Amino acid sequence: MTFEPEIAAFCCNWCGYAAADQAGAAKLEYPAGVKVIRLMCTGMMDPYYVLRAFERGFDGVIVIGCHLGACHYKSGNVQAQDQVKRVGQVLRALGLGESRLMMTAASAAEGSVFADTANAFVEKVRKLGPSPLREVVAQ
Amino acid sequence: MSRPGTKRKVGVFICHCGGNISDVVDVKAVREFAGAQDDVVLATDFRFMCSNEGQERLQKEIKEKGLDGVVVACCTPKMYEELFRSKAEEAGMNPYLLEIANIREQCSYAHRHEPQKATAKAMRIVKGQVEKVRKLRPLEVKTAPIHPGVAVIGGGISGIHASILLANLGHKVTLIEKSPTIGGNMARSVKTFPTDDCAMCTLSPKMNEVYNHPGIDLLTYAEVKDAKRSPGKFTLTVEKKPRFVTDACIGCNRCTERCPVSTAKSPIQVSSEWDQGLAKRKAIYLPFPQALPQLWTIDADHCFYFQRGGACRVCQMVCPAEAIDYTMKPETVGLEVGAVIVATGWKEYDPTPLGYLGFGRHPDVLTQMQVARMLDYMGPTKGVVSRPSDGKPAETIVMVQCVGSRGAPGDPDTHEYCSRVCCMVAVKHASLIKKARPAAEIYILYNDLRAYGKGFEEYYAHSMELGVKYVRGLPGKVHTDGGKLRVDVDDMLTGRRLQIPADVVVLSAAMEPAPIDSILSSLHLDKTPDGFIKEYHAKINPTETAVKGVFIAGCAQGPKDITDSIAQAGSAAMSAAVFLGSGEMTLNPLVAEVDPALCRACDRCTEVCEFDAVRVDPDRLVAVVDETSCEGCGKCTVVCPTGAIGVRQFRKPQIVATIDALAPVAVSP
Repeated sequence: MTFEPEIAAFCCNWCGYAAADQAGAAKLEYPAGVKVIRLMCTGMMDPYYVLRAFERGFDGVIVIGCHLGACHYKSGNVQAQDQVKRVGQVLRALGLGESRLMMTAASAAEGSVFADTANAFVEKVRKLGPSPLREVVAQ
Repeated sequence: MSRPGTKRKVGVFICHCGGNISDVVDVKAVREFAGAQDDVVLATDFRFMCSNEGQERLQKEIKEKGLDGVVVACCTPKMYEELFRSKAEEAGMNPYLLEIANIREQCSYAHRHEPQKATAKAMRIVKGQVEKVRKLRPLEVKTAPIHPGVAVIGGGISGIHASILLANLGHKVTLIEKSPTIGGNMARSVKTFPTDDCAMCTLSPKMNEVYNHPGIDLLTYAEVKDAKRSPGKFTLTVEKKPRFVTDACIGCNRCTERCPVSTAKSPIQVSSEWDQGLAKRKAIYLPFPQALPQLWTIDADHCFYFQRGGACRVCQMVCPAEAIDYTMKPETVGLEVGAVIVATGWKEYDPTPLGYLGFGRHPDVLTQMQVARMLDYMGPTKGVVSRPSDGKPAETIVMVQCVGSRGAPGDPDTHEYCSRVCCMVAVKHASLIKKARPAAEIYILYNDLRAYGKGFEEYYAHSMELGVKYVRGLPGKVHTDGGKLRVDVDDMLTGRRLQIPADVVVLSAAMEPAPIDSILSSLHLDKTPDGFIKEYHAKINPTETAVKGVFIAGCAQGPKDITDSIAQAGSAAMSAAVFLGSGEMTLNPLVAEVDPALCRACDRCTEVCEFDAVRVDPDRLVAVVDETSCEGCGKCTVVCPTGAIGVRQFRKPQIVATIDALAPVAVSP
């Protein structure tokens, strides 16, 4: 069976989540392995959620917020960037590597950015192969 | 899975969306899957959950089954979350126990060529929301009474218009103006386009209406120093500057006539703000004849009494009304209101940084606001546009458009935006000059001439009939060699280079927001990158802001002409009236909450909060959230070292439950 990456996409309510809606409304397609988790702001993105997602077998995590300067809550996305960077270092220390984690921005109107990002990230993770944690957790 | 005694009754309603979902997702399979989840006592599907029939089904099941949790699997929550929550509330369930599972935009639409995968994903999405709902607690929706009264900041045409409307509706209005008189920039504008109405003739009756309105308190020469928010109320601290002239003033003008400041031999000279620096004024003055209130003001920074240790008391000696009081002190006024309208307006861009245009280097290079003053028959040149260098009427006048507007992105000396009014201001001034002196030669050098408003194109065409010459091209340089002005411009339409000797060069300088950073920060308002106040939504909420109860009117929000300022002021007044009239405001319950047992008062939440919504109570040593200020972004929840602070409905266990449910590997906890 071919490997279908499972991706946890943490999206802020105002931009990332709205972009995902916009992608769907525009009938843009991306793999069904991408699962959206709605946060009000990426500012509430706790590094623990990233670790939890990998622990539960996701192959990659993507965080999608507003563009810099356009955060609905002023600068929640800036805090999120810092947190994602920090947890990336943890992933590296764990041997999982940082390339399974990424943060980007898509405005509410940028459905195509969401779809393109999702497609590109799935392909990247597909090349990396299944998360080594998946098997460990499944046992 | 659940502990005894915590059993929930969750209902799952799956919508077909008339095929939008059910053509891709196997709704029956999702229903069966949902029905097998813990705590789910009902799983059902229907063609259109958003229809009346669908809503009735939802309400019937909530009542009959006594549901304390609902998942509606349908389109994005941005469509019908509010509707379903209100319907659930009508049926007796706490509305915040209902969640939407988005299986249309984020499933059936996006994976329509992979029905099996879409069905599997829909199951996980539904499970994710079921697990979240199982962890949700009912939320109480709090309301706060809205304090009566509204403060309008800024006494230009926008603030004046909004104040009158609100006062006529019966609201108590306090209009705060920082200069000694109301009237703002419109009062200086002489005539208004495209009708050439006398600006003061249309403005002055409105100024009088404000001044005499029993429902409007007018605070002039007063500035907002601070603003505090609490539920339903703004507490403003307003500082009234001392005028050193009491209400006894009878307006006889003897003090101004005798004041030695700005006389020929005086060491203190003051240029007139009203006349844009083209004339002098005395230290004790009335800004302009129609100023309201008709109270003279001493400018202490330029008065011999204050600057030379009491050396001069001429005004006090000549005043027949004994209205001069040198001992007046600044006065602080506390003001409690339910709403605030910010109408702080604009100022003209200072073209000095654009050295190639010669402004500030040659006296005969002017701005349009200065020309407006010259065109006033009561003004510094009695209505004739003249050369400041020698006072002679200007025979050749070159106007330059887009000065400080439409600059290159990132240029620190100019603005990227279009100021919208300068084209028509130039057309107006050129027409007025031509009508008065047909022999005058007037060139308008433009890039694009924007005549977008009602009657503007006709007005522009009429100016050409009057003989105003339009040249498409902006000048590379205004030469000032030998004291004579010459403008070099490449005419883009003919390809010729023109060298125009000019008596006067007039720069159509940009509109900039008035400097009000302290007001913005105390009210927690943001600016857009252009420096104007950020509206709630640029298209559909241009008069509201992200702060409930604060509205914006006029050029504080962006460049606009008088017509548009009036329209927006009316809209702001209406929005404020609706807000005040509702009597109470609903507080968003989806905000941060502190568990006092876990809080260590470490202050990290207060450090990251950008809304000043959380502070540590020094007596109890716990963090306290101000629910009116908190926006619910959750930055604090990430930095809290003990997990004491969480955003309702987005608490960590709730989000983790969703992650686990969506995850590919099922793990028993």
